[in-house]
Amino acid sequence: MVFRKGQKVELYRKSEDESWESYMDEFIGLHGIVTDPDTAINDPDALVEISLESKGTHRLPQDCLRPLD
Amino acid sequence: MTEKTCPVAQLIQDLEQVLASGRLHDAKNHRRGEEILALLNDVAWGRAGREHLPAIRQLAEEMRQEGAADAGAESGGRILTALEDAAEVFQSHIETHNCATGACVRLAPAPCQMTCPAGIDVPTYVSLIGEGRDAEAIEVIRKDNPFPWVCGLVCTRPCEFMCVRGRIDKPVSIKFLKAFAAERALSWGQYKNPPKAPDTGQSVCVVGAGPGGMSAAYYLALKGYRVRVIEAQPSAGGMILLGIPRYRLPREVIDREVAMLQDLGVEFSFNTRLGQDVTLEDLQREGYAAYLMAIGAHKAYALGIPGEDNFPQVLDAIGFLRDVALGNRSVPGKKVVVIGGGNVAIDAARTSLRLGAESVILAYRRTRHEMPADEEEVEHAEEEGVEMRFLTIPEAVVGRDGRLEGLQCLRAELVAQAGSDRMRPVPVKGSDFVIEADAIIPAIGQQVDTACLAPLEGLSWTRRSTIDTSMISMETSIPGIFAVGDAVTGPATVIEAIGAGKRAAEGIDRYLSGIPQPKMPPVPVRRGRIDCHPLSANEKMTTKRPEMPLLNIDRRRTTFQQVELGYAEQDVRGEAGRCLRCDICLRCGKCVEICRDKMGVNALAMGYFDFDHPVETDFRLTAERCILCGACAANCPTGAMQIEDRNGERVLSLCGTVLNHEALTACAMCGKQMEPFRYLEYVRNRTKGIGKLIDNRPVCDACGRKTAAKTMQSES
Repeated sequence: MVFRKGQKVELYRKSEDESWESYMDEFIGLHGIVTDPDTAINDPDALVEISLESKGTHRLPQDCLRPLD
Repeated sequence: MTEKTCPVAQLIQDLEQVLASGRLHDAKNHRRGEEILALLNDVAWGRAGREHLPAIRQLAEEMRQEGAADAGAESGGRILTALEDAAEVFQSHIETHNCATGACVRLAPAPCQMTCPAGIDVPTYVSLIGEGRDAEAIEVIRKDNPFPWVCGLVCTRPCEFMCVRGRIDKPVSIKFLKAFAAERALSWGQYKNPPKAPDTGQSVCVVGAGPGGMSAAYYLALKGYRVRVIEAQPSAGGMILLGIPRYRLPREVIDREVAMLQDLGVEFSFNTRLGQDVTLEDLQREGYAAYLMAIGAHKAYALGIPGEDNFPQVLDAIGFLRDVALGNRSVPGKKVVVIGGGNVAIDAARTSLRLGAESVILAYRRTRHEMPADEEEVEHAEEEGVEMRFLTIPEAVVGRDGRLEGLQCLRAELVAQAGSDRMRPVPVKGSDFVIEADAIIPAIGQQVDTACLAPLEGLSWTRRSTIDTSMISMETSIPGIFAVGDAVTGPATVIEAIGAGKRAAEGIDRYLSGIPQPKMPPVPVRRGRIDCHPLSANEKMTTKRPEMPLLNIDRRRTTFQQVELGYAEQDVRGEAGRCLRCDICLRCGKCVEICRDKMGVNALAMGYFDFDHPVETDFRLTAERCILCGACAANCPTGAMQIEDRNGERVLSLCGTVLNHEALTACAMCGKQMEPFRYLEYVRNRTKGIGKLIDNRPVCDACGRKTAAKTMQSES
């Protein structure tokens, strides 16, 4: 899945990625906006930056996100 | 409890229900209940002080102990439990004036603030800048970011991306306003450090003087720690000094803001590389209580193509930019090819031009659409003469007799990968061609140089070769050692590093104070609620985001002078006025609903309220239909919509923007001031079936009653 800047996403499940931390469990079900899709260049493995409703902005692994539109 | 439920709002709701139900029939308990409700409302509206929670606890305790006669005991117990279960949330409402869920509507941060990785209170500082209070604006910014001038010039500005004004026309130029305020405050000698806490007697060592490390150093110094920053390079700045060219970020800007840290007592040791000039054992002998690793990601990825290592004219971008930043001004070649599509590639290309390269080609394997570089930077590069070659895959570096001759490439086409919508560049067979070059600068990304941290036994690394760190406290796997910046995230943004630096300072402080680390990362904190600046609807709609004046193109091609020249003062003040004050108006839409559905007027064209489907917004249209009834203002939960009578007029405004104003009418009989004519007409139309006593003349209630009485007398 490619995540683009401005895309609305849902954090719909726990990630399998090692960067997942336990506090992120509380984010499951929240919606957000992709503010920085890649840290490297078009890397499918990159952590993407999401502005999550009421939780601020966080970098999250891609496998826990799905687009809403 | 759902994610969007705030314990404060929930407790208020519960208590209101209990009070309304009449279950607190004991007069004393009912009064206590009302007092607690008033105190809780203070908490929810950002008006509470330190004494509020103890007072609520005491009243609840009294209810619990003396409430046997009614529901007082039960209610008191519930209140005490709620206070205990969500103590941090109640405290945070009071101390930070922040309700992250937005349930306590007065305390909800604006989208721009929520999007900022450092959580800066954008509406507050933009409003202050609008009023010419630049130094105060800088003070607000530095509560969350010690480098407002640096960020005013190079931030990737996620805040602007989320700016609600962008749904109407263009986002507020937040970044440049910040730069203006920082420059002005420094120039006028009003850029001050806040007071430091008393000395803790403990020392912290920060390894790396980049934005993350220095932000942590700043906040640790403010907390009273003695901080020493060791830096491998001869100057502070890290990637903002070495990776961002001077024409975007003059070195003096970094120096001035670093000097503010030195003023706070932060000690810098330059030309000191960990593992080479100083070892961890040396530092440990000096007795530091904690360490922060902020070593950045300065090691370039190799292209992995034949010939790459055979020619000295193949220079990695980050090394090239570093050498230029440190004073090497020799031109890399006459014909330069830069490989990559990110900001570093653009910087390397524009720097090559400035050093005298005759031609600079940027080869990127995907299309313009996929380029991760900032759009404006790409545009600037093209204006200066950098040629873009898209869908170009490097195949080999070619040359003869040790002399570089060019970059052999293949044309590419983007092909969808199976099971993914990610388009992958695939080489087109037989499409080989050579781009002539006498210097090639690969800029395909950087990684962390792990060598200097190798002696740290037990330090955990991620599979991405970054330091494995808790993103809440920035603790690593070794107690007392913390990490921030690109070394943790991989190459990321300046503002992310700054946000992490502040979290690390908090994490180190808690570690050294023996306080448990928080369970969640902090959410952005409101720093104030600045009064709205009055502005006409016309001005609000017609003021355009100013264009940034740029250095002339010849100088841009030949010198390292700053390209963006900065806004003029009048542009800055005007631009700040475009802010919609989303810290006050939460765009809940109640005003629109009331006006349209209850009053049947439909005067509010606030299309930008709808995030998903924004339609037309025009503040000027309100005056065409609005009857100034005030229903919108009466139902506004945050006080964003205001109606008031002043100077013989009734004025309706939204966050200071005057949507409508009309003269108040005078009673035709006694001269008493009354509602505006349109409102009276509206009421008259709605009540015309009830009586026709006033004969279409504007008369006040008292005169109307007198007239009616006289009419009735004469009829009888």
